[in-house]
This record gives sequence, structure tokens and C-alpha cells, in this order.
Amino acid sequence: MTSSNTTTPNATTLNAETLRSRLEHLAARHGIGQWDLGASCSTDTSVQVDRGEAKQMKGAQRSAITVRVWNGDGLVGITSTSDLSDSGLEKALSGAKAASAFGNPDDTPAFSPLATAPLPALEQPIQPARPILELLDTLKQAERALLERHGAISTVPYNGLAQRRSERVYLNSDGACREQRLSTASLYLYARAEETGRKPRSGGSVRLAYGVDDLDVAGCISEAAERTISHLNYAPIDTGHYTCVFSPEAFLDLVGAFSSLFNARAVLDGVSLSSRDSLGQALAVPFLSIHDNGLHPGNIGASSFDGEGTPTRRLALLEDGILRHFLHSEATARAFGVAPTGHAGLGAKVSVGPDWFEVGPSPGSGGGQQGLDRTGGSDGRGLVLIDSLSALHAGVKASQGSFSLPFDGWLIRDGEARSIEAATVAGDIRQVLQGIIGFEGEAKITPDGLCPHVWVEGLSITGEA
Amino acid sequence: MVVSTAAPVLQQLDASWTSRLEPLLAAGQAAGADLVEVFLERTDHLGVLAEQDDITSVSPAFGMGAGLRVFRGLRDGFVSTNDLSAAGLLDALDQALGMLGLERSSLGRGSFAGLAPLRDHGDTKADWLARCPELADATGRLLQGTAALQRQGKHLQVRRGSYARDWQEVLVAASDGTFARDVRLHQSLGLSVLAADGDHRSSIGRRYGSQGRPEHLLRWDGEASAREVCDSASTMLYADYVEAGQMPAVLANRFGGVIFHEACGHLLETTQVERGTTPFAEMVGEPIAHEAVTAIDEGLSDGAFGSLSMDDEGMEPQRTVLIENGVLKRFLSDRAGELRTGHGRTGSGRRQSHNFAAASRMRNTYIAAGPHTPDDLIASVDRGLYCKSMGGGSVGPTGQFNFAVEEGYLIENGQLTKPVKGATLIGEAKEVMPRISMCANDLDLAAGFCGSVSGSVFVTVGQPHIKVESITVGGR
Repeated sequence: MTSSNTTTPNATTLNAETLRSRLEHLAARHGIGQWDLGASCSTDTSVQVDRGEAKQMKGAQRSAITVRVWNGDGLVGITSTSDLSDSGLEKALSGAKAASAFGNPDDTPAFSPLATAPLPALEQPIQPARPILELLDTLKQAERALLERHGAISTVPYNGLAQRRSERVYLNSDGACREQRLSTASLYLYARAEETGRKPRSGGSVRLAYGVDDLDVAGCISEAAERTISHLNYAPIDTGHYTCVFSPEAFLDLVGAFSSLFNARAVLDGVSLSSRDSLGQALAVPFLSIHDNGLHPGNIGASSFDGEGTPTRRLALLEDGILRHFLHSEATARAFGVAPTGHAGLGAKVSVGPDWFEVGPSPGSGGGQQGLDRTGGSDGRGLVLIDSLSALHAGVKASQGSFSLPFDGWLIRDGEARSIEAATVAGDIRQVLQGIIGFEGEAKITPDGLCPHVWVEGLSITGEA
Repeated sequence: MVVSTAAPVLQQLDASWTSRLEPLLAAGQAAGADLVEVFLERTDHLGVLAEQDDITSVSPAFGMGAGLRVFRGLRDGFVSTNDLSAAGLLDALDQALGMLGLERSSLGRGSFAGLAPLRDHGDTKADWLARCPELADATGRLLQGTAALQRQGKHLQVRRGSYARDWQEVLVAASDGTFARDVRLHQSLGLSVLAADGDHRSSIGRRYGSQGRPEHLLRWDGEASAREVCDSASTMLYADYVEAGQMPAVLANRFGGVIFHEACGHLLETTQVERGTTPFAEMVGEPIAHEAVTAIDEGLSDGAFGSLSMDDEGMEPQRTVLIENGVLKRFLSDRAGELRTGHGRTGSGRRQSHNFAAASRMRNTYIAAGPHTPDDLIASVDRGLYCKSMGGGSVGPTGQFNFAVEEGYLIENGQLTKPVKGATLIGEAKEVMPRISMCANDLDLAAGFCGSVSGSVFVTVGQPHIKVESITVGGR
């Protein structure tokens, strides 16, 4: 035998100082005085199962680097590669230099003034990678347990257990050096159930953690089972307008799909519903607050710095329904005369995006209508509980504010919930934010943020006949 | 160690790899694998974005990598890596073998008889990348496009043009002797606008793509593309929201074919048979659609976005008749699909990159032309929806599909009347396919991207104008 049974991939590593030294040498050779880079590498293992058998087992080792350079005219060019050899880096540098000839003189990024500021401390324990055959056993057991929950659950067609070790580095020619190491794990179970003479129904659940040993496998099984079983008793819904109760996941999906409302890049590009003048104006009911907080301990896999090296921080987007701040990169912050907020990517034209939302009542506002309880009865038409939204990529027109989205959920009448056979919910995000009645229950931590159930009145529901 | 000062391994993928790949495949076979497959690729990408009258982003990228897949029985293990050194590939093989409880051996070659002579589909494509437009040409053409938008549009708040060029060289070697190489070149151009007038807004985009045509960009008719986008944006700017309900619909040709792609095409991939998520699994030879429907998936149309000289498992593509006169004829299958479902391979094993194992995926997929004119279809509807332009869509694990209508019109008494927006079509394939009752004689194709289990791949969707007798339209 020439090798041992390797079922756990070798960890890859990035050495920031070695990388800096090589970049400095290569940049000098090409006459490049100003540069920065983002680099990452990761090792992944994942498994999928199908009715007690391994369906697919995967491993991956990935590396990537993006180099930006500023030419003599101050214009920026960029190139990305997965080839981290010396010649790969040199080719990337020369490619970036060539691209800089086409840099946009009207919108030139610079180094973030916060690229060397202290970083927030994140509690992110690095967990050891488990052998892939252990992952397989864990997932097989989870699948079996889910199948045993109800006779109608016949398969778990979408499932996966994955773990990742990753590293990120940001460096620039002014001496900034950011490094972060992370381990994460994820589990998803999506079950399919079918009863004789009835349509197949499905439901699922996801869990994230810093390692496989910390995953809430039992909770994931229970949630997937409960959701799937709850959809077995289904009926069509009449088309019309309903008061809707968004689950935390569904409301966060909707806010995320319209995050251009808070995005300074989108404002400058003219594709946001917001404008420079929108700051200070009411966008939502006065008892709603939305913060972006990538540092929340519930945000598994949080980054302590963005693509430009700016520290991550908590930022008020909406307070008391008033638009307070936009998400910024270095360039957009400069255009607005504020500090970068830690939401940038890395590019010739730098993208801006949210990290992790906190949605809930404004402190001291009362939080809208009190005592909302979907089990406590309703008018004759009933409440629609929207559990999950689908096809956001197709059904959201962010620049127009409109959406029309399929969803899974229940119609609740007199405290009893019955699954909705098939339906879409349509509306305008401004109508949603102004139509919030109140919140129900405690805020829940999800992969995308923190949010309670949110009641919204008067949304259009189309049922499938 | 990822960061090294070693010599690059970013070399051409050709027959010279035989001496490196054969020992790898032999070692895997000797370890007890039924089959070992290696997929190597080099890529070169260029993305350019023009906004208003400026170039705002130029994003070159290049890379390389390998995906190793080992089969044993019905199981497989897959490992991808950016490390193409001999040690890196051996390490990946060890991981893949270990997933199946196997260990590499230096003794023997198992049943491996060596690689066949290289089938080089790329030998006539060596100059493709060099023949593509220079960056200055690309930026110039895009700026002409955004200028044309300005000339032809009204109330335009945002004008954008984008260009993407994806060059890929692939080499596939497997322990059954498969040894094949190809070079692919995909280019696409997009124009989009956001029109705004007071509270009225419309956003319209179109993308045009080709495969294997280096001069594509230079032959692009930017004026005609801009006119198409601006006409749609102007029409939709003041459109009312569609009234929700159940109604007949006529779907236009070209990208209207996304309905078949989402509603039915995905359910005819063996990946869905393996998962038990297609209602058609046991229905080969049985009617699943209206007799007016014949549907085809192929990888052969010259220059089409989904065309291939070989799939990502080294097999040459076929013309696969999926449905003939409403009767299900066959499924799209890849190597694993054939192994696990018994449906023969169709040259449909595709993947976005070396980071994905190949899976059965669509290529150029369309409903065949019928005997009617588009006007015949519209005239047959008393009250319904005409879907001139479709947005994206998706299909769920129970066969429910949905897709957005980007540009729609009401049909009243057999005539197109006012434009409407905000429509989403939803339904289930099993119920909608028998309702496609009329097909027109104007089949046309459109380039697109399809995301699924093996990543995002280039595809073509298409159809003639078709009529659906009744479908659920989500709106306000």
C-alpha cells in the first residue's frame, strides 16, 4: 500500500506574509506602486444519501485570489485567478494592469481608511473536521429518523451534510493585513410526502454550526418532519386579499431581496427605490427597526472584515420606521461623505451587500398591535401564514418594488391551520413595510438574521384552481 | 500549501497528459473502483460592464482545476482541486477512494487497459480565443449599445450593457479508455434599462448568446437589440398590474420556452428519477402531454448556446426526442444516471466547472413547431394573457413550477389589448403539459443559463408560440 485511507481532506493554508512578500516583489517588477488583494482557500467535504445509501460524497480544495492595481493615472484594474503559483500571480498582476487602462475615472476606488483599524473580536471556535464516513453515518441516521416520523414521508430527496475549513486574507500595499480562519458545518433535510390519491407535499429544515458535532441534528429532523406533515392536509385557497403572517425566514428573505433600499451602490447607480434624499424619511411603520449586524453571535460564519478590509459593524438601517443609514463601500462612503460601513466586496466596481439582519420592534415603540396570536381566531376569511417564499430570483423586481412569489404556508381559520395547496403572494415592498400590523412571538435566529413573525395586512394571494 | 513558488501547472490540456493520467486511473482501478474519471479544465473569462456612457467594470479571470470521480457499485465519490500537480491529483484520488472504503495500491492496473487515442474536438478551435475581440473592441461595442439605448428610449433612468466571454478547455479521461478533449467558447451580450416616470417604473433586459463564434460580438446588431429593449420598456412603463386568476395563456416563442424547460424539462433528467421527484419516472411510452406537443433536447445546433462537441463525460451529444406527439419517449441521462436508473446516456453529462460532478442536464431544449400561425392562437382566446417576454423561473421538489412574465398583454376577444405587469405563472407539469393545445409555426431559440445540481450551465430554450388552455396567473 502506498497511502493511508484518506477520508478527511488535507487542510490548506494561506500565509499572509509570504503572499505579501511575493506580491511586493512581483509588483515592483511590473512598476506597480499601489495594489491590494483578497485571497481565500477552503477545504470542503459533503455527503448526500438516498434511502439508506450514500448518494454522493464530495470533497473540494479551492483557492482563489483577486488582485487590484492602480496605474499611473490612478485608474484601477482587477484580475482573479485560482492559480496561486508565482507565474499565476504575475499573470494576474499584468492582467489587472492591462485592465486598469479601462478603469472608470469617475468612480475610482481607493483603500479603505479603516483597512488597518482594529477588528472586532468574534467567538468562532475552530472545530476539527470529521472523517467523511462519519458524516455519512450521521446523515443516514438523520434520513432514517425523518422517514420514520410519518408513513407518508417516502423520501428525503434533497439532503446534505457538509463541513468546511476556510481562510481569508486581505492585504494592501499600504501595509494592511487582515486574516480570518473559520470552520463551519451545515445540514439540510428536505422531505417529500405523498398519500394515495393526493398530491406530493414537501417541507424542509436547515441547521448551521461551527462544526458537525455542534449541529442540532435532532432539531433539524423534527422541524423538517413537522413542516412536511403539516402540508399533508391541504386545500386550495380562494384568490383575494388577506392578512399575512410571515415566518421569520420568509420575512428576512423578502427584506434581503429588496436590500437595494439600503444599498448606497444601488442608490448611486439609480436602481434603488431610495435616493440620497431618502435618509431621514419614513419608509415603514414607526414601530419597525432593521439593523444589519454581521457580528451577531447567531451569524454562523460571520466575517470580521469586508472585501476592502473594513471592520464589520452593527449598522442601523431603519429606526422607528425612518431610514437612517445606507450600507457602504469605501467609494460609496466617500461619495456620501461618511465612513465605510464594512459591507464591500472587492472589484473594479466594488459591490455592496448586507451581512445579517436584525428585524424587530423599535425600542420603546410598543411594537404595533399587541397580543397578536394566530391561534386566537380570525375573521371569516382567515389568516395566511407564509412559511417560506420561493423563486425570489424570478419574482422580485427590486428596482420597481414589486414582487409576486410562490410560497408554502397555511390558511388559519378559527385557530385551525390547513396547508395551502399552491399559491402566490404579490405586492410592493413599500406596501409591506407600511402595512405591518405588529409582531408575534420572540425573535428567532435564522441563517439570514434575527426576526419574529411579522403580521402584514392586505396582501394579494392567488390560489391555484 | 496552496501558495507556492513552484512552476505553474497551467499548461495546455492535450495528449501529453497521457503519461500522468494513466497511472492515476490504473491506481484507482487497482484499488477496486469500477470506474475512475478525471475532468481537467482551464478557463479564461472576461466580463465587461457599461453603465450610461462609461465602462464601469472590466473583470478578467483565469484558472484551472480537476474533478476526480470514482464509482463503485451504485456509489460514487467526487473530489475537486485546483492543485494539478502529480501529488495534488494523487491526494484527490486518495480522498475519492477513501469515500468508498478503498485504498490506493501501487500493485497492478486492475482491468485498466489504457487510454484510447485522444478524440480531440478542440483541434480546429485553437485560435478561438485569439480571434475574439480585443478588450478595446468589446468596450467600444458596449458603449455603442448604451448610446443606442439613449437614442431610442424614453424616460431611461439607467442604461446598462454587459459582455461576458467564457473560454474553456477540457480534457476527460476515464478508466474505461475514454480520452477526449474540447475547447468551448461562449459569449453573451446583454442590454437592460430602467425606465421611470413619476411612480411608474419598468425594468427590461435582453441577453443574446452564442457558442463557438469568436466574431459574435462584432456581428451583434446593437441598434436592433436596443430597439427591442426600449420598445418593451416604453410599453411596460405605464402598464397596470395583472388581475390574478385562472385563464388561458399564449406564450411567445424564443424565451417563452422557459415554460417547457422549467415545467417539464427538469423532470426528464435522470437526476430527478434518481431522487424520485419526477412524476414521469415510469411513464416512458405513455402520453404525458397534449398530442400537439413534440419536444426535443439536443446539443447539435450550430452556434446555439447549449451546443457541445462532447459532454463533460467525453460523450458526443445526441438529438434526443423527449416527447413525440404527447408521448414520453426518453430521459436525458449521464453516466451516473445510466448506472442508477438504466436510462442510456444521451451526451447530457454537464457541469459548470471542475468543482461539480457531471449530471444529466438540458442543452438546447425546445418544443417543435406546429401548423398554426401565432395569430391563430391569439384569435382562439376570448379572455386571457399573452406572455411576450418571460423572466426566470424554477421547479420545486414536487413538480410545481413558476416563472415570471416580464412583458404581458391582455387578450380580449381574440385581440391583444393593454399591457400588464406583475404576472407569475404557476402550476404543475403533470397538469399543464396536457393543456398545451396549439403550437405555431414560428419556432425560435434564445440563450440562457440554467442552475441546478451541477452548477450553472449554458443552455438554449425555445418554442414556437404556444397556447395553454388554462393556467394560474398570480398577480394583484
